[in-house]
Amino acid sequence: MGFDLKQDIIILDGAMGTVLQQRGLKPGGIGELLNLTDPELLKSVYRDYIQAGSQIIYANTFGANALKLSGTGHGVEEVISAAIRTAREAGAGTETKVALDVGPLGQLLEPMGTLTFERAYDLFREMMEAGAKAGADLVVIETMTDLYEAKAALLAAKEATDLPVFVTMSFEASGRTFTGCTAASMARTLEGLGADAIGLNCSLGPDLLLPILKEICANTSLPVIAKPNAGLPDPVDGHYDMDPESFAAAVLPCLEAGVTIFGGCCGTSPDYIRTLKKALEGKAPVKRPHPVGAFVCSSVTACPISGVRVIGERINPTGKKRFQQALQEQDLDYILDVAVAQEDAGADILDVNVGYPGIDEVEMLPRVVKKLQSAVSLPLQLDSTNAEALEAALRVYNGKAAVNSVNGEQEVMDRILPIVKKYGAAVVGLTLDKSGIPQSAEGRVAIARHILDAALSHGIPKEDVWIDCLTLTVSAQQDQAKETLKAVRTVREELGLQTVLGVSNISFGLPARSLVTQNFLIQAMAAGLTMPILNPNQKEMMDAVAAYKVLSGEDDQCRNYIARFADASATVTSASSTASMTLDEAIMRGLKTDASKLAQLALESSDELTLVESILIPALDKVGIGYETGKVFLPQLLSAAQAAQGVFEVIRASIAKKGGEAVKKGALAIATVQGDIHDIGKNIVKTVLENYGYEVRDLGKDVPPEAVCSAVQEHDLRLVGLSALMTTTLPAMEETVRQLHALPVPPTIMVGGAVVTAEYAAKIGADYYSRDAREAVEIAKKVFC
Amino acid sequence: MEADIREVMRYLGAGKGDDSLFAAAQAIACEIKEVPRYTYRVFHLKGLSLPELGLALTGNTASKMLDGCEKVVLLACTLGLEFDARLRAAQARDMSKAVILDGCGSALVEQGCEEAEREIALRFPGMYLTDRFSPGYGDLPLSLQPQILQALDAQRRLGIVVSPSLLMTPAKSVTAIIGLSSVPQMARIRGCEYCSMKETCALRKGGKHCGL
Repeated sequence: MGFDLKQDIIILDGAMGTVLQQRGLKPGGIGELLNLTDPELLKSVYRDYIQAGSQIIYANTFGANALKLSGTGHGVEEVISAAIRTAREAGAGTETKVALDVGPLGQLLEPMGTLTFERAYDLFREMMEAGAKAGADLVVIETMTDLYEAKAALLAAKEATDLPVFVTMSFEASGRTFTGCTAASMARTLEGLGADAIGLNCSLGPDLLLPILKEICANTSLPVIAKPNAGLPDPVDGHYDMDPESFAAAVLPCLEAGVTIFGGCCGTSPDYIRTLKKALEGKAPVKRPHPVGAFVCSSVTACPISGVRVIGERINPTGKKRFQQALQEQDLDYILDVAVAQEDAGADILDVNVGYPGIDEVEMLPRVVKKLQSAVSLPLQLDSTNAEALEAALRVYNGKAAVNSVNGEQEVMDRILPIVKKYGAAVVGLTLDKSGIPQSAEGRVAIARHILDAALSHGIPKEDVWIDCLTLTVSAQQDQAKETLKAVRTVREELGLQTVLGVSNISFGLPARSLVTQNFLIQAMAAGLTMPILNPNQKEMMDAVAAYKVLSGEDDQCRNYIARFADASATVTSASSTASMTLDEAIMRGLKTDASKLAQLALESSDELTLVESILIPALDKVGIGYETGKVFLPQLLSAAQAAQGVFEVIRASIAKKGGEAVKKGALAIATVQGDIHDIGKNIVKTVLENYGYEVRDLGKDVPPEAVCSAVQEHDLRLVGLSALMTTTLPAMEETVRQLHALPVPPTIMVGGAVVTAEYAAKIGADYYSRDAREAVEIAKKVFC
Repeated sequence: MEADIREVMRYLGAGKGDDSLFAAAQAIACEIKEVPRYTYRVFHLKGLSLPELGLALTGNTASKMLDGCEKVVLLACTLGLEFDARLRAAQARDMSKAVILDGCGSALVEQGCEEAEREIALRFPGMYLTDRFSPGYGDLPLSLQPQILQALDAQRRLGIVVSPSLLMTPAKSVTAIIGLSSVPQMARIRGCEYCSMKETCALRKGGKHCGL
């Protein structure tokens, strides 16, 4: 590239927009069209930056994506090729490199917005292909606040071009981006995905970015970039508060911290770059230690493996009838509930296994990953032997995941390890191979060594190789428990690797299982187990981990331990109230745990249907009447509904156990119409309907009319609920109703939402107007009577 | 900043609520870590146009509200995407809590706008502020939303994006316009007439009003 990315200090350019405004351009409009309408103006800015000392200039392509250009009459390739050409001309006769500049798409990705990861990837890929074709020297992805969007762009750059890729994100002074992404998560994830340099741009001045830059430096071995704003803007006139000298002075500490690539963002101009270049002259890059230590993360939760970390095992259909049923019914809400319970119980990482006969893992695993990351903040461990499913899931995972697992078989490693490397994941290696599980600790350690070597040869760093020495059932092979423990100790001490172990199997077939499991867990942690896989809902196990962390010194000043048991005393008092309460009282008062317990008791003397018809529904109706008469408010109505949900879970589990048919009172679809992206109202209606026993197909938000129609036809539904929040989306509701009416067997339609009125509902031909969740139930009762 | 619980009750349609609901809302409000963030810019006003932006406001609402003003403030305030994530996580766990949280969010973003107004008043001693009004109020078109957000560079500054159907994300986001005048301004926005919810408000349908 004319300079050595790993050795040299490199100067980037400053702001484009700021300079254009200084030269009289009004804000507003689409700045990328200047590439076509006024290339000479842009060329003059590029030239000034080159003269000021910029070694890399960013072509004016920040927002040149198909979303932002739609309706302008100009295409992505047209705009990008013009931009790169102009920048090239400005740099002619110099060593200056031209970067394809790629900013955020301007719409938010799921789950915050409605843009899918796949669509974002395609939009970025179109830009990358155009940039490479036009002759860009490198790709710069910048101003990202969503790690997921940055990942889509980086994958597109890596897959569509051979160019070096820089990625910079925008952080707030809190140390997080707007989406909550942490600096460590950003650094580890992007390095894992193969970025060539990473760092920060925009948002703040160099002084306020410094602590975040330090955090990035501590988490990457890549060159780090700082492209800050000229301080903070004055809200009244938009003027930034740092002049070139104070900007350059504030950048120098970033060099000390280990940053080697510098430029400016909003508020900077060629003068800033000139002054910066002078300040950096004669300075040498500061060497920094390479980060060590295992690490996984979601975008919002960094999980360094610096002690014991619990991997929750419950997302797994093996031996769980209710979970199998949920998979078969594609009931992703149930799977999310299982995940949420484990997060709330204190798990650090969640294992995700959806392998079951009849389930297409390649389709299901990424779907479940997307569902989980919408409401769970923990990092995930993707558990499958299907390479295609793993790749599909790693692709849509927002963060640095772990993969469970490979083993010592060459074919398995050849199949899985390249995928692990490509997506920068950690990998669990099971100490078994073609000849089975070695009976001796030495045999297992030998396989661990073999897996480590194979991973290293694939370019996977040592800290990303985790070894599972395998637990065997002690009642069947009593000599094996100590071999497992010995293997754990050796792998940890001699190979220096992280260790994973599913502990629950140890006690299979024995009475008082949890005692044996807990004891084994404690011994394993003492031997060097860092990542037990267990059921975090079992209090004994989490207590053992909490106590272990006190003794190992990890729980500084025993803070977490004390907090854990301070909370415990509070739960005891509320649990004792069950004794004198009846089930319908528990439901009406919204006490979910008590209601579930009482339902279990009730099932001993009554069947499921009777319980629903004679206790559950009448209790909910009583609350509903209270709501209608203004004595009960919405949160209380929902509490009662959720307590009923607890009862339904008990009933479902009981039926699943017997292998019988579920109690279902009728199925309906519910959707927020196309263009509408806020869906709490729809979710309220869903919660209440479900807890009256209706099967609700939640089609989500921003749902096109065609998708509603196809769901109705596919599942032969008789009722559809539509919600709209904004006057701007009412036409979409009308269109959906029109298309539903045109079906061979039109369903009954109810509509509701903030801007919908009874008159409007009648006007567009809906069958019912539903003012609130309570009315939706009354309508469902009529339709399914 | 902590959400004003009386306002939260109002958003929940619970009037004064009851004691247990009030206590639950207080507990939930304490858990919220996000604070409203805002950005604003002050522009000259010639008639109804903002020459620096090449933007012209239209309609009776704008002309009534900004009558006699020399300057105009464009304001955006948001509780941020992290609050949206909090709300999503709550919805996966406990809808009852989620609706209270949602009400707290609405109250907080309003409080953020009020804080911004106080700051603006301090920055312009001797000037008088009109009431704050937003796209969608009266006949001020919702289609102004993208232009206001672009003028404030709100995606970079606050992370606010607007969809083709003119909805803002984060969910708890507000844009507003405030006039600045050298003569005292009478309060103009009071009552249902100016409210964007006036056609559908449950309280209004029941012959009541929310007190604003």
